[in-house]
Amino acid sequence: MSRPALLALGAGISALALPLALSDFWIFIAIEVLAFSLYAVSFNVLLGYGGMLSFGHAAFFGVGGYAAALLVKKAGLSAGLAFALLPIVAMAISAVVAAVVGFFSVRRSGIYFAMLTFAFQMLLYTVALKATGLTGGDDGMTGLKPPGMLAQPFVYYYFALAVVVAALYVLFRLVSSPFGYTLRALRSNARRVQYVGVDVRAHQLATFVITGAFAGLAGAVFALSSGNVFPGWLNWTASATPIVMAVLGGVHTFLGPALGAAVYVVLEVLISGRTEYWPLAMGVIILVLVLLMPNGLTGLLQRKTA
Amino acid sequence: MSAEPILRVESLAKRFGGLQALGGVDLSVERGEFRAIIGPNGAGKSTFFNTMTGLLRPDSGRVSFEGREITGEPPHILARKGVGRTFQITSVFHDLSALENVQVSLLAHARRAWSLWQRARTLYAERARELLELVGLGKNPGRLAGTLAHGDQKRLELAIALAGEPRLLLLDEPTAGMAAQERIESITLVHRVASELGLSCVFTEHDMAVVFAVATRITVMHQGRVLAEGTPAEVRARPEVQQVYLGETA
Repeated sequence: MSRPALLALGAGISALALPLALSDFWIFIAIEVLAFSLYAVSFNVLLGYGGMLSFGHAAFFGVGGYAAALLVKKAGLSAGLAFALLPIVAMAISAVVAAVVGFFSVRRSGIYFAMLTFAFQMLLYTVALKATGLTGGDDGMTGLKPPGMLAQPFVYYYFALAVVVAALYVLFRLVSSPFGYTLRALRSNARRVQYVGVDVRAHQLATFVITGAFAGLAGAVFALSSGNVFPGWLNWTASATPIVMAVLGGVHTFLGPALGAAVYVVLEVLISGRTEYWPLAMGVIILVLVLLMPNGLTGLLQRKTA
Repeated sequence: MSAEPILRVESLAKRFGGLQALGGVDLSVERGEFRAIIGPNGAGKSTFFNTMTGLLRPDSGRVSFEGREITGEPPHILARKGVGRTFQITSVFHDLSALENVQVSLLAHARRAWSLWQRARTLYAERARELLELVGLGKNPGRLAGTLAHGDQKRLELAIALAGEPRLLLLDEPTAGMAAQERIESITLVHRVASELGLSCVFTEHDMAVVFAVATRITVMHQGRVLAEGTPAEVRARPEVQQVYLGETA
């Protein structure tokens, strides 16, 4: 058996056995890690593969979260049906929102693209904050829970694991496909790729929509675990989270951002449990990271094993 | 040979503010030609190229390829129609391997850029290797394009362009930044490959040795207009050409 295969097998067994070893609290944290792994990887398909630095990715995570909350609380469906529809609905709504945001944003590149995504995110944040009748405004939407057995943390963990692994597999196929090759070429040299016959904007827009949809799925998975959604999920500060996770894990590998998400979430729990200065600790970590490990944790691991 | 020229440009004009970069350029290129466009710096050669290939919008005028109008079409549409180009400043995909560089072009040409599920690693890899061999880069297909020597990147860019199976290839200063000996080798390679594949080529060039080595016809540009056109011998004999261009370098 090859080394990657062994690693994958090991990771698979650990992931399956994990809830047996953890308290309910840590199972919640494990679910958060899963959701944020998907979120960070979806963000990095945009950044690391597509060269598009979005300051608004949190908008889609948030939209996915609200889509889940609305479906569960306000759609008037039976709990089971609402839950069954949840992944599709969260992805579809996030994709539609991402299509609108992306349609305008991919017309510009670099910092202007970033600013457009930022602007749309603030717009959506304001909607979440002010459309009180729909979103509960500042209070958010609370009391969300999955139906029946799924309300038990360890059962929901397996649900989240299945959804996230399936989604990561789809994204992995995407970056390994001709579409993904073209996306990397586009990041590398957008002008050249036009002259081999690629419609750059269409390709960027499709990437934006797909990654937005998966961020939405991550938001939905997380919403039903945490039990609530708040406007803050869409605030611009929330968009820093996937950026930090991706850089922390390493933007040059597919799963690097997932590792970054795991480390980020666990560190946040450990540090914020002991001190209120979690942002300070995070700042120091980012400094060390960028100065000493420009390729993130996966870059460090690769150097050690090389 | 069909009577229709492969490329016809009529009164192409482009102004930047107060500067008339192109003052109505006419050009007609027959199938199988290896046409050089020469002219002093600022003659408008690059603007002409960029206006023909969709990077800039012309203010007026008309460009036709194989009898169909392509004026102002965006680059990806031109590429799909069979017009390839290379750039003055070498333009490859730096952080992709040489092989992947060519694969990307082959995938786009085969309209596979939107395949979302199939694994791309081995798709068209064989054809990509052949193209790398053709331009003399068969040895290290896995090397990152950004780490190749300048001349090799130029070859790679040629392979990328050829992967799109263009019928017309536009090369903007294909020998820019090369040493004198390398220039002749490089343009000879383009010429050989173009002849083998039956491509028509239009290229801009500064080095007269390169131009006279391969061009079948020469167009001389000066101050955004065509000053003269003809076979190398005809162009060489024109006094006004010697005055504005050849005179400067001789």
